[in-house]
Amino acid sequence: MATRRGGTLTVYTRPLARLIEQLQRLPGVGPKTAQRLALHILKRPEAEVQALAQALIEAKQQVGVCSVCFHLSAEPVCEICRAPNRDRHTICVVADSRDVIALEKTREYHGKYHVLGGLISPMDGIGPDQLNITQLVRRVNKQDIKEVILAISPSVEGETTTLYVGQLLKPFTKVTRIAFGLPMGGDLEYADEVTLARALEGRRELD
Amino acid sequence: MYLKTLHLRQFRNYREQQVEFSAPKTILLGDNAQGKSNLLEAVELLATLRSHRALRDRELVLEGETAAQIAAMLERETGSIDLAITFRSSGRRTVSLNGESLRRQLDFLGMMNAVQFSSLDLDLVRGGPGERRNWVDTLLVQLEPVYAYILQQYNTVLRQRNALLKQQKRSIDGETENTESASFNPILRDEQALPYPLTSSPPHLPTSSQTELAIWDAQLAAIGSRVIRRRARVIQRIAPLAQSWHRTISNSTEILDIRYAPNVHAEQDDPSVVQQAFLEKLEQRAIAEFHQGTTVVGPHRDEIEFTINQTPARQYGSQGQQRTLVLALKLAELKLIESVVGEPPLLLLDDVLAELDLTRQNKLLDTIQDRFQTLITTTHLGSFDAEWLKSSQILTVKAGQIQL
Ligand SMILES: Nc1ncnc2c1ncn2[C@@H]1O[C@H](COP(=O)(O)OP(=O)(O)O)[C@@H](O)[C@H]1O
Ligand SMILES: [Mg+2]
Ligand SMILES: [Zn+2]
Repeated sequence: MATRRGGTLTVYTRPLARLIEQLQRLPGVGPKTAQRLALHILKRPEAEVQALAQALIEAKQQVGVCSVCFHLSAEPVCEICRAPNRDRHTICVVADSRDVIALEKTREYHGKYHVLGGLISPMDGIGPDQLNITQLVRRVNKQDIKEVILAISPSVEGETTTLYVGQLLKPFTKVTRIAFGLPMGGDLEYADEVTLARALEGRRELD
Repeated sequence: MYLKTLHLRQFRNYREQQVEFSAPKTILLGDNAQGKSNLLEAVELLATLRSHRALRDRELVLEGETAAQIAAMLERETGSIDLAITFRSSGRRTVSLNGESLRRQLDFLGMMNAVQFSSLDLDLVRGGPGERRNWVDTLLVQLEPVYAYILQQYNTVLRQRNALLKQQKRSIDGETENTESASFNPILRDEQALPYPLTSSPPHLPTSSQTELAIWDAQLAAIGSRVIRRRARVIQRIAPLAQSWHRTISNSTEILDIRYAPNVHAEQDDPSVVQQAFLEKLEQRAIAEFHQGTTVVGPHRDEIEFTINQTPARQYGSQGQQRTLVLALKLAELKLIESVVGEPPLLLLDDVLAELDLTRQNKLLDTIQDRFQTLITTTHLGSFDAEWLKSSQILTVKAGQIQL
């Protein structure tokens, strides 16, 4: 570790080394990619780099979560929650905002969402109380919800979360789950649009 | 099945090594710490995606590098198959079949089969139950690849449930911290010292935490039952084979019995019966689990008992007799895999042949003949039969390189 750090500092001039270090913190970016990105950035016109820097800051400052469904949103209530033409009686529950994006791409789903913000995982210190589950129960309890679709990956943690949420919601409404024909250990975000669309059709009631 | 070529790249102490296997038996000859066992380990990984000696993939990667690769060409009755595994020190593995990378590692298992036999296998008799569970699990992965997935799921549920139990214990201990110092003792014997009576369930846990535990219980029981039933089934199949080999090798003087002693015992081999028994035992042991902050019920506590003439094998007789047992197990594995897969698996003998006396050596060699492709490591050729050496390919291993 010490040698690698020393290496970075001696090979690159300081500001460049700092940029590479920051880029390397991004997921999926290793030392080689970080170097390529950094050198690319240096070659671009300053205005373009300014725009990038500003976009980063503004996104961070302006994007929060929707107060209703917890999907990423720049407004207090997100576009999906505000859309008048969407089915207000159906909520699709997902772990993460990425899953909302994946499902939206299918254009097969026209209801609302609820983003839990993760999965139950005691090893990571995440229990039901750390997720947006109480808010979901309140939503279902207060509004006229005809169906809740649980679209959560079939991992061990996903299964536990599905069962937990299902158990809480069943007294209030019909609860179904998406029968994902996903590869074992697969992630919702990797499912292609056709698979997801088919999964939506094939959903079954939670027992 | 026949392993034709093996290519190691930055794997263990091999930088780049192509190996061609030109005879049914290959002897890897070399001093200690040259890379003989490393090569067998590569074959073991191709067959099981498990290594009996590496805890992390990082160990498999040549020091100073970030990735290692094993590639192999395997001839099977249905045609030849190209297999490759890439290990990364970051921990992510990729596997490929005929040049196409597979999204599920599960689809890689079962392509190649091998039985590994090393001097460490004496631990099957002398070691703890974990050694025997691991033996059964490795065998199952080859016979029923989906078992690898089931086992992984079980271990994940187990770790998650243990984390939750520990959390629950901590939250209760924390609450009573100031009143009693009893919480420092992990196993409480003195009921007086308890902040709450042993007989009732622990108080003060939030409902969400209790509901969560009930769901982890259900998952543990559902997946754990699958583990139990598959273990029971494979032990039932291998026991008579091992018994018959053991009888032959011991000249009918010894009877070997292999018995599965599952932690959760069910009267019937029926999914719902086993699951029900599992849940009942969890309920019985709930207080104990709460105090210990860990899961005490389930197949991770299984035992597999070996007895010779009704005496536990661990206590029975000499090292020679224990060796007979291990040899019988390995021969039984070979035969079981062969009958299930329909083709003879490879046999990997790591330093073990020289340790067997002549009778046992011959018994083994008779069985292998030319049917089971065999890779044998040794530090010297002295103990091998001359006839046998003639028909073998001999490769000299030195400092991570193979010299012809
Ligand atoms: N990741 C690794 N990188 C480099 N060398 C390694 C690595 N893992 C093991 N080794 C070396 O491999 C040697 C052991 O090889 P092994 O196959 O067990 O020996 P033997 O020939 O006695 O069976 C040791 O010298 C060890 O340092
Ligand atoms: Mg060795
Ligand atoms: Zn919203």
